[in-house]
Amino acid sequence: MNAKTAMPEIGVDAETQRRVEQFLYREARLLDNERWDDWLALMAEDIHYWMPTMENRRRADKNGTYAVDRGALYNDNLLDLTRRVTRFKQPTAWAEDPATRHAHVVAGIEVYQGEAPGEFIVHSTFVNYRSRVEKDNDLLVGRREDVLRADGESFRLARRKIIITQSVLMAKNLNTFL
Amino acid sequence: MCNTQGDTPIRLKRRPIAQSIENLDQLMNLEKGRMSRDLFWDRDIYEQELERIFARCWLFVGHESQIPKAGDYVSTYLGEDNVLIVRQKDGSVKGFLNTCPHRGNKVCFADLGNARQFVCNYHGWAFGIDGALKGMHASETYEAAGMDKSEHGLHPVAHVDSYRGLIFATLDPEAPSLAEYLGDMRYYLDAIFDMDEGGTEFIGGCVKSVIQCNWKYASENFVGDILHAGWTHDSGAKAMVGGPVAEVHKTPEQSYHVNFNGHGWEFNQDIVGNCATLGEKELLKYLYVLQPKVAERLGELRSRMIGAISSCTLFPNTSFLPGQNTFRTWHPRGPGQIELHTWTFVNKKAPQEIKDKWRKGTMMTFSPSGVFEMDDGENWEYSTRSNAGFVTRQQDLYLGLGHDTRVENTDLPGNVFQGQINEANQRAFYQRWLDLMKADSWKTVPQRDLPKMKEGV
Repeated sequence: MNAKTAMPEIGVDAETQRRVEQFLYREARLLDNERWDDWLALMAEDIHYWMPTMENRRRADKNGTYAVDRGALYNDNLLDLTRRVTRFKQPTAWAEDPATRHAHVVAGIEVYQGEAPGEFIVHSTFVNYRSRVEKDNDLLVGRREDVLRADGESFRLARRKIIITQSVLMAKNLNTFL
Repeated sequence: MCNTQGDTPIRLKRRPIAQSIENLDQLMNLEKGRMSRDLFWDRDIYEQELERIFARCWLFVGHESQIPKAGDYVSTYLGEDNVLIVRQKDGSVKGFLNTCPHRGNKVCFADLGNARQFVCNYHGWAFGIDGALKGMHASETYEAAGMDKSEHGLHPVAHVDSYRGLIFATLDPEAPSLAEYLGDMRYYLDAIFDMDEGGTEFIGGCVKSVIQCNWKYASENFVGDILHAGWTHDSGAKAMVGGPVAEVHKTPEQSYHVNFNGHGWEFNQDIVGNCATLGEKELLKYLYVLQPKVAERLGELRSRMIGAISSCTLFPNTSFLPGQNTFRTWHPRGPGQIELHTWTFVNKKAPQEIKDKWRKGTMMTFSPSGVFEMDDGENWEYSTRSNAGFVTRQQDLYLGLGHDTRVENTDLPGNVFQGQINEANQRAFYQRWLDLMKADSWKTVPQRDLPKMKEGV
């Protein structure tokens, strides 16, 4: 993995930790319930929502497992995310009808102060399980690194990096956000 | 800059071909547009496909731009055979089965990289990038046994060659040349892979996924099925451009199905129709500026194909979309599964920001998270899976569109049909499939399509 030299990890108070956790749990619930517009409203205007694909390379290969100019399943700005949501909402999105059942499980939430005032670096792990029609069940497990930005009483998501364990996506599609 | 590997390699053993399945002719009546579902389900048919299609045809293995330097390699598949495609010191390209001749373990676990040698993890057998066995752990024990290292190199594929940057390999020493195999399809390939002086390159790595479908459903979709787009991809079009897919069935006079040796291309001449679905005006501008130059280079018709509503499959399992610039191979994994490998291709001389927009565009449209591909996978999975029904799979399928659309007097190479809403290419694809499945060697494969293009153009 491309372990960038991390910022010093300066913790936050318990109340901030609690509010960030609430934000992520609520986000997961919005996705489980296909509340796409409410989910989009959590994004900052300058969101970079990124899920690179994993390449199997030798450890000695300086190119690393993933990079921002290589393969990705998401490498999105707000317009891109909005377009994806537009598809989900079409009555002709055949692969969403009957509805897919989603469970977004979020755990291991760590919150640190970010680079700018009012920003927080948030690490979390996730389990995503999707079930469709009779027996289509897809499991994704991974880790996220977010930048949350304070916005009044809540937050906006400014950056998200999603790292999954699979290099070959073991599913016909990825019809959810993580 | 590829060379074939010359003499028939003795390091690649092939058993005499197994007896062909009986009554294959009864699986289809292409005149009537009738097709058996056994093609998409039967395990015996699949096993013979591995032998008679995938261990015989020229299959796509990589783009020259993926392996520019000596020692650069990619790991890919010929059917289910894992192969390493390696750039040599003299600039040529060689291919090897990714298996140690000692106990059979894989010698390379990386998807790609640069190697000075490939060393097996099991007993430390070490192979040069030319495949020769150079040494091993405790080599004196092999010397004591009188083992001759020169007889134990990696198993080479039979031939490697390239066309316009696209590298192909075959496991059949008797295969015709790549130029003959592609035949007149090369005329159309030039519209995409030679539209610009610098040729094309692959960018952004490879995105891989698994679809639980028969490989032919994917191949035949890209060989000629624009018809599905207006229905299947309505939601994707609305997401990307705010409206439905163009109604190409209303203008058949401006579009074609063309095929040769089972390869097929459906296209109209709207220059940018496919590209428009990426929702990036800069890309349309790029193609419109390029089009007159392509017209000078390749003529008016091909210049109007550079990003038009179109799709192509190179028989058997490699496909691409002009304009959306996704290039893909559907690797078979049993009768009911494929592993999909996709890349983004761009003109090498295009500005970086244009290349970046295409890289994002393929992700947004034709990737597992793409708003178009998301609906394809489910169609192909259930077209395959419904055949589990014992009686269901005895019911025929229909592919009879465009029966009387053949264009006889044309300068266009290949078999030409009027109207891209058509199933002529699908029928030609399955005719080629049947010819290969019945023939015991390349010598007995019927020569249905005679090239208008010269060899080696």
